[in-house]
Amino acid sequence: MSAFRKLLEKSWLVVALVLLWWFASASSTNVFFPPLSVILETLVRDLSSGLLLEYLAFSLTNLGLGLLFAIIIGIGLGLLIGEIRPLRDALDPYVSFARSIPQAALVPLIIGTFGLGPGPKIYTIAFACVFPILLNTIDGVRGIEPTIRRFGKVYRITPARYFRRVVLPGALPQIFAGIRVALPIGITVMVVSELYAANKGVGFYILNSSSTFQMAQTWAGAILVGVVGYFITLIFFRIERLPLRWYFKSGAMAQ
Amino acid sequence: MNTEIIANTTEVRAPATHTAVRVDHVSMAFGEGEQTNRVLADLNLTVDQGEFISIVGPSGVGKTTLLRIFSGLIQPTEGHVYVENERIRQPHPSIGVIFQDYSRSLLPWMTTIDNVAFPLEGRFGKKERRERAEAALESVGLGGQGGKYPWEMSGGMQQRVAIARGLAYEAKILLMDEPFASVDAQTRFSLEDLVSDLQRRLNLTVILVTHDIDEALYLSDRVVVLAGKPASVVTTIDTDFGDHRDQASTKADPRFGEARTRILELLGH
Repeated sequence: MSAFRKLLEKSWLVVALVLLWWFASASSTNVFFPPLSVILETLVRDLSSGLLLEYLAFSLTNLGLGLLFAIIIGIGLGLLIGEIRPLRDALDPYVSFARSIPQAALVPLIIGTFGLGPGPKIYTIAFACVFPILLNTIDGVRGIEPTIRRFGKVYRITPARYFRRVVLPGALPQIFAGIRVALPIGITVMVVSELYAANKGVGFYILNSSSTFQMAQTWAGAILVGVVGYFITLIFFRIERLPLRWYFKSGAMAQ
Repeated sequence: MNTEIIANTTEVRAPATHTAVRVDHVSMAFGEGEQTNRVLADLNLTVDQGEFISIVGPSGVGKTTLLRIFSGLIQPTEGHVYVENERIRQPHPSIGVIFQDYSRSLLPWMTTIDNVAFPLEGRFGKKERRERAEAALESVGLGGQGGKYPWEMSGGMQQRVAIARGLAYEAKILLMDEPFASVDAQTRFSLEDLVSDLQRRLNLTVILVTHDIDEALYLSDRVVVLAGKPASVVTTIDTDFGDHRDQASTKADPRFGEARTRILELLGH
Protein backbone atom coordinates (compact mmCIF):
# COMPACT_ATOMS: atom_id res chain seq x y z
CA MET A 1 0.00 0.00 0.00
CA SER A 2 2.64 2.50 1.00
CA ALA A 3 4.87 1.45 -1.88
CA PHE A 4 1.96 1.98 -4.22
CA ARG A 5 1.30 5.37 -2.66
CA LYS A 6 4.91 6.37 -3.10
CA LEU A 7 4.81 5.38 -6.75
CA LEU A 8 1.60 7.35 -7.15
CA GLU A 9 3.08 10.43 -5.50
CA LYS A 10 6.07 10.31 -7.82
CA SER A 11 4.26 9.57 -11.05
CA TRP A 12 0.89 11.28 -10.98
CA LEU A 13 2.13 14.35 -12.84
CA VAL A 14 3.81 12.29 -15.56
CA VAL A 15 0.68 10.20 -16.02
CA ALA A 16 -1.49 13.30 -16.10
CA LEU A 17 0.71 15.04 -18.68
CA VAL A 18 0.88 11.98 -20.92
CA LEU A 19 -2.90 11.59 -20.76
CA LEU A 20 -3.36 15.29 -21.49
CA TRP A 21 -1.03 15.04 -24.48
CA TRP A 22 -2.72 11.86 -25.65
CA PHE A 23 -6.24 13.28 -25.69
CA ALA A 24 -5.32 16.78 -26.81
CA SER A 25 -3.43 15.46 -29.81
CA ALA A 26 -5.76 12.56 -30.60
CA SER A 27 -7.52 14.22 -33.50
CA SER A 28 -4.64 16.45 -34.58
CA THR A 29 -4.11 16.83 -38.30
CA ASN A 30 -1.29 19.34 -37.91
CA VAL A 31 1.74 17.83 -39.60
CA PHE A 32 4.08 19.19 -36.88
CA PHE A 33 1.99 17.83 -34.02
CA PRO A 34 0.91 14.29 -34.85
CA PRO A 35 -1.24 12.39 -32.34
CA LEU A 36 0.74 10.84 -29.48
CA SER A 37 -0.63 7.45 -30.46
CA VAL A 38 1.04 7.78 -33.85
CA ILE A 39 4.31 8.93 -32.26
CA LEU A 40 4.40 5.96 -29.93
CA GLU A 41 3.45 3.59 -32.71
CA THR A 42 6.39 4.92 -34.74
CA LEU A 43 8.70 4.63 -31.76
CA VAL A 44 7.74 1.01 -31.13
CA ARG A 45 8.00 0.21 -34.84
CA ASP A 46 11.48 1.64 -35.25
CA LEU A 47 12.68 0.17 -31.98
CA SER A 48 11.48 -3.31 -32.81
CA SER A 49 12.87 -3.15 -36.33
CA GLY A 50 16.27 -2.68 -34.67
CA LEU A 51 16.99 0.56 -36.54
CA LEU A 52 16.61 2.85 -33.53
CA LEU A 53 18.43 0.42 -31.26
CA GLU A 54 21.39 0.44 -33.60
CA TYR A 55 21.32 4.24 -33.74
CA LEU A 56 20.99 4.44 -29.99
CA ALA A 57 23.95 2.12 -29.47
CA PHE A 58 26.05 4.30 -31.79
CA SER A 59 25.05 7.50 -30.01
CA LEU A 60 25.47 6.15 -26.51
CA THR A 61 28.89 4.74 -27.32
CA ASN A 62 29.94 8.21 -28.44
CA LEU A 63 28.46 9.69 -25.29
CA GLY A 64 30.18 7.12 -23.07
CA LEU A 65 33.58 7.63 -24.67
CA GLY A 66 33.22 11.40 -24.76
CA LEU A 67 32.28 11.48 -21.11
CA LEU A 68 35.12 9.14 -20.23
CA PHE A 69 37.67 11.45 -21.87
CA ALA A 70 36.05 14.45 -20.22
CA ILE A 71 36.20 12.77 -16.81
CA ILE A 72 39.82 11.70 -17.15
CA ILE A 73 41.00 15.07 -18.46
CA GLY A 74 38.72 17.12 -16.22
CA ILE A 75 39.72 15.36 -13.01
CA GLY A 76 43.42 15.04 -13.86
CA LEU A 77 43.81 18.64 -14.94
CA GLY A 78 41.49 19.90 -12.20
CA LEU A 79 43.50 18.23 -9.45
CA LEU A 80 46.72 19.74 -10.78
CA ILE A 81 45.31 23.21 -11.39
CA GLY A 82 43.52 23.24 -8.05
CA GLU A 83 46.52 22.11 -6.05
CA ILE A 84 49.41 23.86 -7.79
CA ARG A 85 49.16 27.58 -7.35
CA PRO A 86 51.45 28.76 -10.20
CA LEU A 87 49.64 26.47 -12.62
CA ARG A 88 46.32 27.90 -11.53
CA ASP A 89 47.48 31.47 -11.95
CA ALA A 90 48.82 30.68 -15.40
CA LEU A 91 45.83 28.71 -16.69
CA ASP A 92 42.93 30.51 -15.07
CA PRO A 93 42.29 33.01 -17.91
CA TYR A 94 42.34 30.25 -20.52
CA VAL A 95 39.92 28.11 -18.58
CA SER A 96 37.55 31.06 -18.16
CA PHE A 97 37.89 31.85 -21.86
CA ALA A 98 37.30 28.30 -23.06
CA ARG A 99 34.32 27.71 -20.83
CA SER A 100 32.55 30.75 -22.24
CA ILE A 101 32.60 29.37 -25.77
CA PRO A 102 29.18 27.90 -26.59
CA GLN A 103 30.10 24.29 -27.20
CA ALA A 104 27.37 23.64 -29.75
CA ALA A 105 28.82 26.40 -31.90
CA LEU A 106 32.02 24.45 -32.23
CA VAL A 107 30.33 21.30 -33.50
CA PRO A 108 30.47 22.19 -37.21
CA LEU A 109 34.03 23.43 -36.76
CA ILE A 110 35.26 20.28 -35.05
CA ILE A 111 33.45 18.01 -37.47
CA GLY A 112 34.63 20.11 -40.39
CA THR A 113 38.19 19.77 -39.16
CA PHE A 114 38.19 16.16 -38.12
CA GLY A 115 35.75 14.79 -40.66
CA LEU A 116 33.09 12.10 -40.54
CA GLY A 117 32.83 9.10 -38.27
CA PRO A 118 32.45 8.84 -34.51
CA GLY A 119 35.82 10.46 -33.63
CA PRO A 120 34.88 14.13 -34.00
CA LYS A 121 31.54 13.52 -32.27
CA ILE A 122 33.37 12.04 -29.31
CA TYR A 123 35.76 15.03 -29.22
CA THR A 124 32.83 17.42 -29.29
CA ILE A 125 31.07 15.66 -26.43
CA ALA A 126 34.34 15.50 -24.47
CA PHE A 127 35.01 19.19 -25.05
CA ALA A 128 31.56 20.20 -23.89
CA CYS A 129 31.60 17.95 -20.84
CA VAL A 130 35.11 18.68 -19.67
CA PHE A 131 34.39 22.18 -18.35
CA PRO A 132 31.84 21.49 -15.63
CA ILE A 133 34.01 18.59 -14.45
CA LEU A 134 37.23 20.61 -14.60
CA LEU A 135 35.81 23.66 -12.84
CA ASN A 136 34.12 21.61 -10.15
CA THR A 137 37.28 19.59 -9.55
CA ILE A 138 39.29 22.79 -9.12
CA ASP A 139 36.67 24.10 -6.68
CA GLY A 140 36.66 20.80 -4.84
CA VAL A 141 40.43 20.85 -4.42
CA ARG A 142 40.35 24.49 -3.32
CA GLY A 143 37.70 23.62 -0.78
CA ILE A 144 39.82 21.11 1.10
CA GLU A 145 40.34 22.30 4.66
CA PRO A 146 43.60 24.22 5.23
CA THR A 147 44.04 22.13 8.39
CA ILE A 148 44.10 18.96 6.27
CA ARG A 149 46.75 20.56 4.07
CA ARG A 150 48.83 21.35 7.16
CA PHE A 151 48.30 17.85 8.47
CA GLY A 152 49.67 16.46 5.19
CA LYS A 153 52.76 18.62 5.43
CA VAL A 154 53.54 18.01 9.09
CA TYR A 155 53.02 14.27 8.80
CA ARG A 156 55.15 14.30 5.66
CA ILE A 157 52.68 12.59 3.36
CA THR A 158 54.43 12.22 -0.02
CA PRO A 159 52.93 14.32 -2.83
CA ALA A 160 51.75 11.32 -4.87
CA ARG A 161 50.06 9.75 -1.86
CA TYR A 162 48.63 13.11 -0.86
CA PHE A 163 46.99 13.49 -4.27
CA ARG A 164 45.57 10.00 -4.32
CA ARG A 165 44.44 9.63 -0.71
CA VAL A 166 43.66 13.21 0.31
CA VAL A 167 43.07 15.58 -2.60
CA LEU A 168 41.11 13.17 -4.81
CA PRO A 169 38.69 11.86 -2.16
CA GLY A 170 38.40 15.33 -0.65
CA ALA A 171 37.36 16.79 -3.98
CA LEU A 172 35.20 13.81 -4.95
CA PRO A 173 31.82 15.23 -3.87
CA GLN A 174 32.43 18.27 -6.08
CA ILE A 175 33.79 16.11 -8.90
CA PHE A 176 30.58 14.11 -8.92
CA ALA A 177 28.57 17.32 -8.89
CA GLY A 178 30.51 18.32 -12.01
CA ILE A 179 29.77 15.02 -13.74
CA ARG A 180 26.10 15.44 -12.83
CA VAL A 181 26.11 18.80 -14.63
CA ALA A 182 28.06 17.34 -17.54
CA LEU A 183 25.60 14.49 -18.17
CA PRO A 184 22.71 16.47 -19.70
CA ILE A 185 25.20 18.66 -21.59
CA GLY A 186 26.74 15.50 -23.01
CA ILE A 187 23.36 14.16 -24.06
CA THR A 188 22.46 17.42 -25.78
CA VAL A 189 25.78 17.64 -27.58
CA MET A 190 25.49 13.96 -28.51
CA VAL A 191 22.31 14.79 -30.42
CA VAL A 192 23.61 18.07 -31.84
CA SER A 193 26.83 16.45 -33.06
CA GLU A 194 24.77 14.11 -35.23
CA LEU A 195 22.94 16.93 -36.92
CA TYR A 196 26.04 17.49 -39.06
CA ALA A 197 27.73 15.00 -41.33
CA ALA A 198 26.19 11.91 -39.85
CA ASN A 199 24.55 8.86 -41.34
CA LYS A 200 23.41 7.19 -38.15
CA GLY A 201 22.66 7.93 -34.53
CA VAL A 202 19.64 9.28 -32.69
CA GLY A 203 20.46 12.85 -33.68
CA PHE A 204 20.63 11.84 -37.31
CA TYR A 205 17.28 10.03 -36.92
CA ILE A 206 15.71 13.23 -35.57
CA LEU A 207 17.22 15.55 -38.18
CA ASN A 208 16.61 13.23 -41.09
CA SER A 209 12.97 12.68 -40.17
CA SER A 210 12.24 16.34 -39.66
CA SER A 211 13.79 17.31 -42.98
CA THR A 212 11.62 14.71 -44.70
CA PHE A 213 8.55 15.80 -42.72
CA GLN A 214 8.28 12.51 -40.82
CA MET A 215 7.32 14.43 -37.70
CA ALA A 216 6.20 11.36 -35.81
CA GLN A 217 9.79 10.09 -36.03
CA THR A 218 11.16 13.45 -34.89
CA TRP A 219 8.96 13.32 -31.84
CA ALA A 220 9.74 9.65 -31.23
CA GLY A 221 13.47 10.38 -31.34
CA ALA A 222 13.13 13.32 -28.96
CA ILE A 223 11.09 11.26 -26.51
CA LEU A 224 13.61 8.44 -26.67
CA VAL A 225 16.50 10.80 -25.89
CA GLY A 226 14.55 12.23 -22.97
CA VAL A 227 13.74 8.83 -21.51
CA VAL A 228 17.27 7.51 -21.98
CA GLY A 229 18.69 10.68 -20.40
CA TYR A 230 16.39 10.24 -17.44
CA PHE A 231 17.57 6.69 -16.83
CA ILE A 232 21.23 7.62 -17.26
CA THR A 233 20.83 10.28 -14.57
CA LEU A 234 19.01 7.78 -12.35
CA ILE A 235 21.81 5.23 -12.74
CA PHE A 236 24.39 7.91 -12.04
CA PHE A 237 22.71 8.86 -8.77
CA ARG A 238 22.88 5.21 -7.76
CA ILE A 239 26.55 4.93 -8.68
CA GLU A 240 27.69 8.09 -6.89
CA ARG A 241 26.13 6.98 -3.59
CA LEU A 242 28.79 4.33 -3.22
CA PRO A 243 32.08 6.29 -3.17
CA LEU A 244 30.37 9.23 -1.50
CA ARG A 245 28.74 7.25 1.29
CA TRP A 246 30.90 9.04 3.88
CA TYR A 247 29.89 12.40 2.44
CA PHE A 248 26.15 11.84 2.51
CA LYS A 249 26.25 10.11 5.87
CA SER A 250 28.49 12.67 7.57
CA GLY A 251 26.29 15.42 6.15
CA ALA A 252 23.26 13.71 7.62
CA MET A 253 25.07 13.44 10.97
CA ALA A 254 25.90 17.15 10.98
CA GLN A 255 22.23 17.98 10.67
CA MET B 1 91.05 3.28 16.44
CA ASN B 2 87.51 2.26 15.71
CA THR B 3 86.36 2.44 19.29
CA GLU B 4 87.94 5.83 19.62
CA ILE B 5 85.80 7.19 16.82
CA ILE B 6 82.67 5.70 18.32
CA ALA B 7 83.57 7.04 21.73
CA ASN B 8 84.17 10.44 20.20
CA THR B 9 80.88 10.51 18.37
CA THR B 10 78.92 9.56 21.45
CA GLU B 11 80.65 12.25 23.38
CA VAL B 12 79.69 14.83 20.84
CA ARG B 13 76.13 13.58 20.58
CA ALA B 14 75.42 13.03 24.23
CA PRO B 15 74.45 16.58 25.20
CA ALA B 16 72.56 16.90 21.95
CA THR B 17 69.82 14.49 22.99
CA HIS B 18 68.74 16.74 25.82
CA THR B 19 67.36 19.54 23.71
CA ALA B 20 64.16 18.80 21.86
CA VAL B 21 63.43 22.15 20.27
CA ARG B 22 65.35 25.38 20.23
CA VAL B 23 64.56 28.68 18.56
CA ASP B 24 67.40 31.07 18.21
CA HIS B 25 66.81 34.82 17.75
CA VAL B 26 63.65 34.16 15.80
CA SER B 27 61.71 37.03 14.28
CA MET B 28 58.65 36.76 12.14
CA ALA B 29 57.02 39.36 9.97
CA PHE B 30 54.24 39.02 7.43
CA GLY B 31 53.89 41.26 4.41
CA GLU B 32 56.28 43.83 3.04
CA GLY B 33 56.97 47.55 3.11
CA GLU B 34 54.51 49.68 5.05
CA GLN B 35 52.13 46.76 5.32
CA THR B 36 54.64 44.74 7.31
CA ASN B 37 53.14 43.07 10.32
CA ARG B 38 55.86 42.20 12.78
CA VAL B 39 54.59 39.37 14.92
CA LEU B 40 57.60 37.96 16.74
CA ALA B 41 60.84 39.70 17.56
CA ASP B 42 64.13 38.18 18.64
CA LEU B 43 62.54 35.25 20.39
CA ASN B 44 64.68 32.67 22.14
CA LEU B 45 63.42 29.47 23.68
CA THR B 46 64.86 26.07 24.46
CA VAL B 47 62.68 23.10 25.28
CA ASP B 48 64.31 20.05 26.82
CA GLN B 49 63.48 16.51 25.90
CA GLY B 50 60.65 15.16 28.02
CA GLU B 51 59.60 18.62 29.07
CA PHE B 52 56.03 19.84 29.03
CA ILE B 53 55.80 23.53 28.31
CA SER B 54 52.84 25.78 27.69
CA ILE B 55 52.84 28.98 25.76
CA VAL B 56 50.32 31.54 26.98
CA GLY B 57 49.62 35.07 25.96
CA PRO B 58 46.85 37.37 24.80
CA SER B 59 45.00 36.31 21.69
CA GLY B 60 46.63 37.45 18.49
CA VAL B 61 50.05 37.69 20.13
CA GLY B 62 51.55 35.11 17.78
CA LYS B 63 51.30 31.84 19.72
CA THR B 64 50.02 29.89 16.75
CA THR B 65 52.63 31.50 14.51
CA LEU B 66 55.34 30.36 16.90
CA LEU B 67 53.91 26.84 16.91
CA ARG B 68 53.89 26.77 13.12
CA ILE B 69 57.52 27.84 13.15
CA PHE B 70 58.30 24.93 15.50
CA SER B 71 56.43 22.58 13.20
CA GLY B 72 58.39 23.66 10.13
CA LEU B 73 55.21 24.74 8.34
CA ILE B 74 56.50 28.30 8.05
CA GLN B 75 60.01 29.70 8.09
CA PRO B 76 60.93 32.56 10.39
CA THR B 77 61.98 35.81 8.75
CA GLU B 78 65.10 35.79 10.88
CA GLY B 79 66.75 33.29 13.17
CA HIS B 80 66.98 29.54 13.21
CA VAL B 81 64.90 26.65 14.50
CA TYR B 82 66.47 23.44 15.70
CA VAL B 83 64.72 20.16 16.35
CA GLU B 84 66.87 17.59 18.12
CA ASN B 85 69.79 19.86 17.29
CA GLU B 86 69.12 19.73 13.60
CA ARG B 87 68.32 22.99 11.88
CA ILE B 88 64.95 22.59 10.19
CA ARG B 89 63.50 24.17 7.07
CA GLN B 90 60.59 21.76 6.75
CA PRO B 91 58.60 19.52 9.10
CA HIS B 92 60.81 17.21 11.13
CA PRO B 93 59.93 13.51 11.53
CA SER B 94 59.99 13.75 15.32
CA ILE B 95 57.25 16.32 15.36
CA GLY B 96 53.55 15.63 15.50
CA VAL B 97 50.92 18.35 15.58
CA ILE B 98 47.53 18.16 17.27
CA PHE B 99 45.40 20.80 15.63
CA GLN B 100 42.76 22.89 17.30
CA ASP B 101 39.97 22.03 14.90
CA TYR B 102 40.16 18.27 15.29
CA SER B 103 37.10 17.67 13.17
CA ARG B 104 38.88 19.31 10.26
CA SER B 105 42.23 17.62 10.64
CA LEU B 106 40.84 14.09 10.47
CA LEU B 107 39.94 12.76 7.05
CA PRO B 108 36.17 12.14 6.96
CA TRP B 109 36.44 9.54 4.18
CA MET B 110 38.63 7.25 6.26
CA THR B 111 37.67 5.21 9.28
CA THR B 112 39.32 6.11 12.55
CA ILE B 113 41.93 3.36 12.35
CA ASP B 114 42.77 4.30 8.75
CA ASN B 115 43.18 7.91 9.83
CA VAL B 116 45.64 6.87 12.51
CA ALA B 117 47.48 4.46 10.21
CA PHE B 118 47.58 6.76 7.19
CA PRO B 119 50.82 8.66 8.00
CA LEU B 120 52.56 5.29 8.35
CA GLU B 121 51.94 4.39 4.71
CA GLY B 122 55.22 3.85 2.95
CA ARG B 123 56.94 3.14 6.24
CA PHE B 124 55.28 -0.14 7.24
CA GLY B 125 53.25 -2.89 5.62
CA LYS B 126 49.49 -2.95 5.94
CA LYS B 127 49.35 -5.42 8.83
CA GLU B 128 51.97 -3.60 10.86
CA ARG B 129 50.27 -0.27 10.23
CA ARG B 130 46.99 -1.57 11.57
CA GLU B 131 48.66 -3.08 14.62
CA ARG B 132 50.42 0.16 15.42
CA ALA B 133 47.28 2.19 14.84
CA GLU B 134 45.26 -0.14 17.06
CA ALA B 135 47.89 0.11 19.81
CA ALA B 136 47.81 3.90 19.57
CA LEU B 137 44.02 3.95 19.74
CA GLU B 138 44.22 1.66 22.74
CA SER B 139 46.57 4.06 24.53
CA VAL B 140 44.09 6.92 24.17
CA GLY B 141 41.24 4.76 25.41
CA LEU B 142 39.67 4.04 22.04
CA GLY B 143 40.65 0.39 21.66
CA GLY B 144 38.35 -1.53 19.34
CA GLN B 145 36.67 1.61 18.02
CA GLY B 146 38.77 1.98 14.89
CA GLY B 147 35.96 0.92 12.59
CA LYS B 148 33.98 4.08 13.26
CA TYR B 149 34.24 7.17 11.13
CA PRO B 150 35.46 10.36 12.86
CA TRP B 151 32.10 12.06 12.30
CA GLU B 152 30.38 9.28 14.19
CA MET B 153 32.35 10.30 17.28
CA SER B 154 32.07 13.09 19.84
CA GLY B 155 34.49 16.01 19.79
CA GLY B 156 36.51 14.62 22.67
CA MET B 157 36.83 11.25 21.00
CA GLN B 158 37.91 12.87 17.74
CA GLN B 159 40.65 14.74 19.57
CA ARG B 160 41.77 11.44 21.09
CA VAL B 161 42.00 10.03 17.57
CA ALA B 162 44.15 12.99 16.54
CA ILE B 163 46.43 12.33 19.52
CA ALA B 164 46.58 8.62 18.62
CA ARG B 165 47.60 9.60 15.11
CA GLY B 166 50.54 11.56 16.51
CA LEU B 167 51.51 8.67 18.77
CA ALA B 168 51.32 6.05 15.99
CA TYR B 169 53.51 8.34 13.89
CA GLU B 170 56.03 8.02 16.72
CA ALA B 171 56.24 11.73 17.24
CA LYS B 172 58.61 12.48 20.11
CA ILE B 173 57.54 16.08 20.23
CA LEU B 174 53.85 16.92 20.26
CA LEU B 175 52.83 20.43 19.31
CA MET B 176 49.32 21.18 20.44
CA ASP B 177 47.47 24.28 19.31
CA GLU B 178 44.60 24.99 21.71
CA PRO B 179 43.67 21.33 21.45
CA PHE B 180 40.91 21.41 24.05
CA ALA B 181 39.39 24.77 23.19
CA SER B 182 36.26 23.39 21.59
CA VAL B 183 35.21 20.62 23.96
CA ASP B 184 33.13 20.85 27.13
CA ALA B 185 34.76 21.23 30.55
CA GLN B 186 34.39 17.58 31.62
CA THR B 187 35.88 16.28 28.39
CA ARG B 188 38.58 18.89 28.65
CA PHE B 189 39.69 17.66 32.08
CA SER B 190 39.85 14.05 30.97
CA LEU B 191 41.79 14.97 27.82
CA GLU B 192 44.22 17.04 29.91
CA ASP B 193 44.82 14.08 32.20
CA LEU B 194 45.22 11.78 29.22
CA VAL B 195 47.87 14.00 27.64
CA SER B 196 49.63 14.45 30.96
CA ASP B 197 49.68 10.70 31.51
CA LEU B 198 50.90 9.91 27.98
CA GLN B 199 53.60 12.54 28.21
CA ARG B 200 55.04 10.97 31.38
CA ARG B 201 54.66 7.39 30.22
CA LEU B 202 56.19 7.87 26.80
CA ASN B 203 58.60 10.62 27.86
CA LEU B 204 57.21 12.94 25.22
CA THR B 205 58.10 16.55 24.78
CA VAL B 206 54.92 18.59 24.64
CA ILE B 207 54.55 22.19 23.59
CA LEU B 208 51.04 23.36 24.29
CA VAL B 209 49.58 26.63 23.10
CA THR B 210 46.63 27.66 25.21
CA HIS B 211 44.76 30.74 26.33
CA ASP B 212 43.75 28.95 29.51
CA ILE B 213 46.23 29.82 32.26
CA ASP B 214 44.90 27.16 34.64
CA GLU B 215 45.35 24.51 31.99
CA ALA B 216 48.89 25.72 31.30
CA LEU B 217 49.85 25.68 34.98
CA TYR B 218 48.19 22.34 35.66
CA LEU B 219 49.90 20.51 32.80
CA SER B 220 53.31 22.05 32.33
CA ASP B 221 56.75 21.98 33.85
CA ARG B 222 57.22 25.49 32.56
CA VAL B 223 54.86 28.20 31.40
CA VAL B 224 56.19 30.60 28.77
CA VAL B 225 54.47 33.96 28.68
CA LEU B 226 54.46 35.78 25.36
CA ALA B 227 53.54 39.44 25.17
CA GLY B 228 54.25 42.61 23.27
CA LYS B 229 53.90 43.73 19.69
CA PRO B 230 55.99 42.27 18.15
CA ALA B 231 55.94 39.56 20.78
CA SER B 232 58.77 38.01 22.68
CA VAL B 233 59.08 35.88 25.80
CA VAL B 234 58.42 38.14 28.77
CA THR B 235 58.94 35.46 31.36
CA THR B 236 58.96 31.75 31.97
CA ILE B 237 57.49 30.33 35.14
CA ASP B 238 58.62 26.99 36.51
CA THR B 239 55.81 25.08 38.09
CA ASP B 240 56.78 22.75 40.90
CA PHE B 241 53.62 20.85 41.64
CA GLY B 242 55.36 17.51 41.21
CA ASP B 243 54.62 14.59 38.97
CA HIS B 244 51.39 13.54 40.59
CA ARG B 245 48.82 16.14 39.88
CA ASP B 246 45.09 15.99 39.91
CA GLN B 247 42.46 18.43 38.82
CA ALA B 248 41.13 19.14 42.31
CA SER B 249 44.09 19.33 44.70
CA THR B 250 46.72 20.74 42.33
CA LYS B 251 44.50 23.63 41.37
CA ALA B 252 43.79 24.25 45.07
CA ASP B 253 47.51 24.50 45.88
CA PRO B 254 48.31 28.05 47.06
CA ARG B 255 51.36 28.14 44.78
CA PHE B 256 49.01 27.50 41.87
CA GLY B 257 47.06 30.61 42.77
CA GLU B 258 50.21 32.68 43.14
CA ALA B 259 51.52 31.60 39.75
CA ARG B 260 48.16 32.37 38.17
CA THR B 261 48.12 35.84 39.69
CA ARG B 262 51.63 36.52 38.45
CA ILE B 263 50.79 35.54 34.91
CA LEU B 264 47.56 37.55 34.93
CA GLU B 265 49.48 40.60 36.13
CA LEU B 266 52.06 40.12 33.39
CA LEU B 267 49.30 40.02 30.84
CA GLY B 268 47.95 43.28 32.26
CA HIS B 269 44.86 42.06 34.09
